[in-house]
Amino acid sequence: MHDYGSGKKNSAGGLMTRIPGIIVVEPSAEQSKYRAAEVFARKQPKQLKLSNDIESVKEHLREVRHEARDDNAKLLERLKNTLAGFGVNVRIAADGKEAASAIRQIAGDTRLASINKSNIVVNEIRPDLKSQGFETYIRYFTEFSKNFEPEVFKKELEDYWSLAGMHDRGLMESFAVRKKFSSLPKGDIRDYVVILGVNAISAENGDVFFLQHMSNISHDLEQARKVILVVGIEKVAKDSDTALFHTRSMGIFGLESILLDLKPNDLERFDFDGLPVLADQPERSIDVIILDNGRSKLLNGIYEDLFLCIDCRNCARQCPIGLHVFFERGLVYSPKNYLLGFLQGFLPPVDACLHCGRCHVECPVEIDIPTLIWKAQLEHYEHHKRSLKKRMLDDPEMLAKMGTLTAPLSNWMVHIPIVQYMTELFTGVHRNSHLPTFHRETFRDWFKGGKRG
Amino acid sequence: MADKIVYYHGCFANYYNPDMGKSLVEVMEKNGFEVIVPDQKCCGMPQMANSAVEGARKNYDFNMNSLANAAAPGYDIITTCPSCNMMIKREGLPFFDSDAARFVGERVYDASQYLVKLYAQGRLDTRFGEIKLKVFYHNPCHLKVQNLRDSITILKMIPGIEIVSVNTNCCGMGGSYGMKKQNYARSTEIASKIWTEAKNSGADLAATECGGCGLQIEAGTGMKVTHPIILVNQAYKAFKEQDAA
Repeated sequence: MHDYGSGKKNSAGGLMTRIPGIIVVEPSAEQSKYRAAEVFARKQPKQLKLSNDIESVKEHLREVRHEARDDNAKLLERLKNTLAGFGVNVRIAADGKEAASAIRQIAGDTRLASINKSNIVVNEIRPDLKSQGFETYIRYFTEFSKNFEPEVFKKELEDYWSLAGMHDRGLMESFAVRKKFSSLPKGDIRDYVVILGVNAISAENGDVFFLQHMSNISHDLEQARKVILVVGIEKVAKDSDTALFHTRSMGIFGLESILLDLKPNDLERFDFDGLPVLADQPERSIDVIILDNGRSKLLNGIYEDLFLCIDCRNCARQCPIGLHVFFERGLVYSPKNYLLGFLQGFLPPVDACLHCGRCHVECPVEIDIPTLIWKAQLEHYEHHKRSLKKRMLDDPEMLAKMGTLTAPLSNWMVHIPIVQYMTELFTGVHRNSHLPTFHRETFRDWFKGGKRG
Repeated sequence: MADKIVYYHGCFANYYNPDMGKSLVEVMEKNGFEVIVPDQKCCGMPQMANSAVEGARKNYDFNMNSLANAAAPGYDIITTCPSCNMMIKREGLPFFDSDAARFVGERVYDASQYLVKLYAQGRLDTRFGEIKLKVFYHNPCHLKVQNLRDSITILKMIPGIEIVSVNTNCCGMGGSYGMKKQNYARSTEIASKIWTEAKNSGADLAATECGGCGLQIEAGTGMKVTHPIILVNQAYKAFKEQDAA
């Protein structure tokens, strides 16, 4: 157990004895600089040696994630009791809308929020915050723009293929606890709230863990009027060691995917440092929102493996559509988030997936996302009619047979604009598609004919 | 008595590139195998991608029974298409599990993977003639995710073939995905990187196992595209000619 120092009065006048520890895990500055430099300066990534210990890290991670999933109800109960012991206000939210309402209550008159780049806040709560009248900014990008002058930061990653292979190195040692708060750090408080999706939390003693690559979280803890922590129910680990391991793993396996995000985004630019400092410097407390948002429904069903996810977004590392799927609002993209968003009901059926299978290989806890995406699509179309265009392509072999029987005429036909237009109209096959060539004699014809060259 | 192998050719080798199937048969015969080509239908992956589960099930069950019967004495099964390979090896199992499917899944090999296996056993005929070619090799996703890069090993055994560039990115085609109107632009965007790489590689032709990837490379570069097994077959024939000369 940590000693969290002496008691304080909270704003409601009650005794707020202690806060749960807030623990920030960061890569060592030296290593992150070196790695970032490596990525941007080196065209051809070096062939890297596979570290032996990455496999044992994965094995241990799978073990602790299965525990976290299978004991979830018990762990949640324990966490609630632990937090109650601190006198922390805990609210349970069924969905993003409830979470946003709770945040509005906590925030009082303030309608300005800094949020971290966590999918639970960005994807699941942010739209509802907007309808509640909140202005939200991902401070990560602001910090990023401050640290990297645009003219210096010229090289952007084109796509996943520009990533250097780094995550196979023994990086465990590079992510470590760099900051530990047993009370909210003293700073110049400004009139805004911070909403942070936690990366992991210990049921045993309430320790909250964040992975931080910039300094956004530390600054927010110093400056925000209200600190609101959002806990996805899958983020509850049995104890501090496990939660720390979970967070460090997120760092290791997510190291490359964060690089895909390194695009300073003007829409997220907001100068929180420039806000006037509050004269009265109010006493601050921490509120916790435990968010379900369809997660518990996944347990004991076909999608239960999604619960193992640590949100490292390694699955995004090799996702070919990752940077080519544009959603109306910013989304913390990963194949898992894409699927989860659909299951939670705010994204369309996951038809943009190419089913290349890369995310499955990348996942440190071995979630078979491609299969789950197929299942989700099948489930969806059990209840929704498939379009005629979709059904037209149900039997590609039949189409191939027709083309074969009419070859070479069919090969000539597919180049006629009107035929291309009609094909697009009825089958949805784009008129400029480069189609394969039909052969009058199929391989089987040849084989049965016994001809041997 | 010759060893036997079972060939699952799938749609592409049958309808669109018979030369791929012929080459597989001739290469295996060259190595002393009798090739069995059982009755088969489309592997069912296009139907799965289209959420046509019943169509997929029908084809899958048919194939599994047919392949299991053909391979019953313990023969291995070879594919030339990476997506068919994934489907009959493992992708169909979570949906249409059966004893036949498990029996089949355990003995499925990609053609180059099988040749490398034969080589390791000292059983591969390596009398390849010379083919002077600069090759751009694209490793399709459905082999990459199985960590299969055996075509590179095999092609390097052929005198005169120089692999000038190996590409392991997704080409954005994904079967008929890239042909669909709603995906066409995205697919083209994803492919652009490969097109640039292929064009700048100075290669005479592109080699890839996947028919869809081949179409995508062809579409964007105008390059001639072939399947590694076709090159292997050409190398055997080239040896015969050089030997005769």
